[in-house]
Amino acid sequence: MDDKNVVAKPQETSRQIRPLYCIAEDKGEVTIRLEMPGVRKGDLAISIENSELRVTGKRSKDAITGNYLVRERRHGDFANSFTLDDTIDQNNVEASLENGLLTIKLHLKEEVKPKRIQIKTS
Amino acid sequence: MAIIRWNNDVWRPAEEMKRLQNDINELFDFPALFPGRGIFDRATSPALDMLETEEGFVIYCDLPGMDEKNLDLSVASGVLTIKGERKNPAPGKDAKMYRNELWEGVFQRTLALPSPVATDKIEAELKDGVLRVFLPKREEDKPKQIELKVK
Repeated sequence: MDDKNVVAKPQETSRQIRPLYCIAEDKGEVTIRLEMPGVRKGDLAISIENSELRVTGKRSKDAITGNYLVRERRHGDFANSFTLDDTIDQNNVEASLENGLLTIKLHLKEEVKPKRIQIKTS
Repeated sequence: MAIIRWNNDVWRPAEEMKRLQNDINELFDFPALFPGRGIFDRATSPALDMLETEEGFVIYCDLPGMDEKNLDLSVASGVLTIKGERKNPAPGKDAKMYRNELWEGVFQRTLALPSPVATDKIEAELKDGVLRVFLPKREEDKPKQIELKVK
């Protein structure tokens, strides 16, 4: 497989954060894991349009307000999009959100998967 | 931007210098401080916020993908320690990694609390990958309104 089948588009506006992510491919399955702490299942939107996979996660504001003594976390909503090429089956996408870690599983189309050919010995 | 496999074999010092220069140039551009890339993003230390309210101190810590089993909180002599280990699911033997920004490993954060807290009333919860710790102030340290009687 070519290295170019998943291309990330940088999406940056002042209020949106690009979540940290990793992309791995194993046996025809492409796994994207995105760190989205503080995002609940209902506030997550994943869509594919014109071979663009878009992930957005809204975060509710922290309920407690006060004086910040330490402020390191990035505040804002998560958003990122990935461009999918023709080798990815857009009808077979699974996603799961667990403890603020979103896992998206994409599958390569059958025709581009490497096939093992059995050699018959007589 | 195309995702290419991280390749350490090719050493391009000019490129590396340029990347470092770009990162430093962007460092103080305010929105660019946070977008999650650059020279400070490789530290294995989770980001946290600490707030002071009238009731106590609240700590929020981003720990996506972490289990409470691997997390350890302790308070001793005015110092809060958050310890833990984050393990990412191991990739398969033949897996190709195209990009990996997720950290893993052991971390420890210590925070000095500005004033004593009621250690028996500390609440902590881990929800949706965010750890929230509430450390209530002792009654005698809370700000009190003193009513003035004008005669």
